[in-house]
Amino acid sequence: MNRRSFLKTTGAAGLLTCSGLAPMLIEMQAFTQNSNLSKVEARFYKKHPDREIECILCPRLCKLGDKERGYCGVRENIGGTYYTLVYGKACSMHIDPIEKKPLFHFLPSSSALSIATAGCNVNCKFCQNWEISQVRPEQIRHVDFPPEAVVFTAEKNSCPVIAYTYSEPVVFYEYMFDTAQMARKKNIKSVVITGGHIKPEPLVELIKVVDAIKVDLKAFSQDFYTQYVRGELQPVLDAIKIISKSNVWLEIVYLVIPTLNDKPSEIRKLSRWILREIGPDVPIHFSRFQPMYLLKNLPPTPISTLVEAHKVALQEGLRYVYIGNVPGHKSENTYCPKCQNTIIERIQYHIRKIEMLDGKCKFCENPIPGVWA
Amino acid sequence: MSTVVIARGNNLFSPSFEMNDKSLAQMYTQGLFTLTGQSKWKDCLHSFLPTKEKVGIKINTIGGKSISTRPNVALCLAQFLSDNHDQNGDVVVWDRTNRELQDAGYKLNWNRRGIKVFGTDTQGIGYNQNLISHLNIGSLFSRIQSNHISSSISLAILKDHGLAGVTAGMKNYFGAIHNPNKYHDTNCDPYVAEVFASSLIKKKHRLTILDGLIVQYHRGPSYHSRWAEKQGMLIFSFDPVAADTIGWQIIEKLRAKKGLPSLSEEDREPRYLKSAEKMGLGTANFDKIKIKEVVV
Repeated sequence: MNRRSFLKTTGAAGLLTCSGLAPMLIEMQAFTQNSNLSKVEARFYKKHPDREIECILCPRLCKLGDKERGYCGVRENIGGTYYTLVYGKACSMHIDPIEKKPLFHFLPSSSALSIATAGCNVNCKFCQNWEISQVRPEQIRHVDFPPEAVVFTAEKNSCPVIAYTYSEPVVFYEYMFDTAQMARKKNIKSVVITGGHIKPEPLVELIKVVDAIKVDLKAFSQDFYTQYVRGELQPVLDAIKIISKSNVWLEIVYLVIPTLNDKPSEIRKLSRWILREIGPDVPIHFSRFQPMYLLKNLPPTPISTLVEAHKVALQEGLRYVYIGNVPGHKSENTYCPKCQNTIIERIQYHIRKIEMLDGKCKFCENPIPGVWA
Repeated sequence: MSTVVIARGNNLFSPSFEMNDKSLAQMYTQGLFTLTGQSKWKDCLHSFLPTKEKVGIKINTIGGKSISTRPNVALCLAQFLSDNHDQNGDVVVWDRTNRELQDAGYKLNWNRRGIKVFGTDTQGIGYNQNLISHLNIGSLFSRIQSNHISSSISLAILKDHGLAGVTAGMKNYFGAIHNPNKYHDTNCDPYVAEVFASSLIKKKHRLTILDGLIVQYHRGPSYHSRWAEKQGMLIFSFDPVAADTIGWQIIEKLRAKKGLPSLSEEDREPRYLKSAEKMGLGTANFDKIKIKEVVV
């Protein structure tokens, strides 16, 4: 794709390219095309008689008649064929440090061109991006930003990573997949920031084209998933296991919400499960909750609760345990599990110091798991 | 005791399935006069719609031309209101999107004086930006419902629904929120009742009318001609739960007649009705519903 055809394809990305490009939030307002939805056939669904279909992308397995949309709100049965309405329809676009995802063991301090479309396949009461995740694509401003334009923009802005994030990339699977496939040809890596609510078959296919996945594990109890997520825990655990057995880098985030999923016994159970099923080297981030969306009646997570969760996970044998959303906390840093020296020093999304060489601790040469170059 | 009036039109359809508008108007007249006990249109409307109200007619057009609230049905009611009710501004016939309205055969009108027809996605309308959290619901409401109207009539199509059991007058208000797709779990229960119970709906709702001219009694909500039957009826009630309960009964009767299992046997009886009753929104108890039938 040359510059001319690129600019013709996407006005928004053109703005990004011409702007000189410090990391910036793209102003979407000028590019409203609300009724301009995509009509690209979905990849994971079954056709049934009488123009009915069954979506097999996520564990909900929505069964839909003609003109109906799935729970995600961005896929529609039109005359017996299932379509994604958000292919190439980005509603958010930003260049973020990779630490914001957070991915702490994946190309530290690199810039990630981050994109999202409308929609999500769960409805977390604490969603921080509900204005884009809990709406239909026609209810939000979006721009035409096809895969080739995403890759071109990343390349032009020296972003070694494209992140599929903010809402739930599973619901824009086809868009993400094709973009990742194109990006790989240009040596640009793809990272997925997801709730992990996906069926094994599409996940296994996705793993072939992406480089890292961060899973938001919302709790370690089905009750919580039923009440606060409107989803299921087991498929998320299954997804984590599948990713851990692949070559894709995996990190886990656990948002600690006061009184709802913060019991040390639950954290202990979770840590033991991770140790048993995945091993001690997967980074886990205990993040601080801030009241929002439908959970405004709870206070932010006390730091002491996060410190306790961190302690429990370390006690259980996990080696890379972090505290998130508490800028300046010492548990934002990476410590060598062998010599205990600080090997990556962070303040929020910024790297202050890296004491590693060829993926090893500079002090004791202990190999540190991750993707470092 | 709640009252539900069923108005049947024997000569509503011609042999070529053309709708007889005169017959339809008589169904409205007799149905609403019977429900209100009035014999003049002005008195009839004023008995449940205070003067100087801004009246909205919420229709259901998601099913396309074959199985949506029919334009003749909505516009006939709107005309009666326009001609006989001392209101504040024009009657608004509305649904979620202009595309769906047009697909169902409506001609959009938001400029000229007269009956307005438009969707929430009309430029300058959209959804109210204040998130309303009520019980299990967290939604943005259409500005038509929140700002443009003060009294609402739910004029819904009656049909089978694969999840809710039936979709009728109460579930019609799913079209007033921005995220109805999030409320289809567990047979849409208690969500249908909870959306209705939110103040923006409950305080403005005045009347339920179900379009049962052709009833889809199986494999809904999408249209399947082989499971849709001409019934030629309009159903009226001030009790939204009772209206839907009778709608359910009509669907069950059609299913039984066709040898289909009941909705209960398919584990999808409309549970939301019991939830709505528990919330005090109306009655779902057949013994407490008085049915009056009129034939035109």
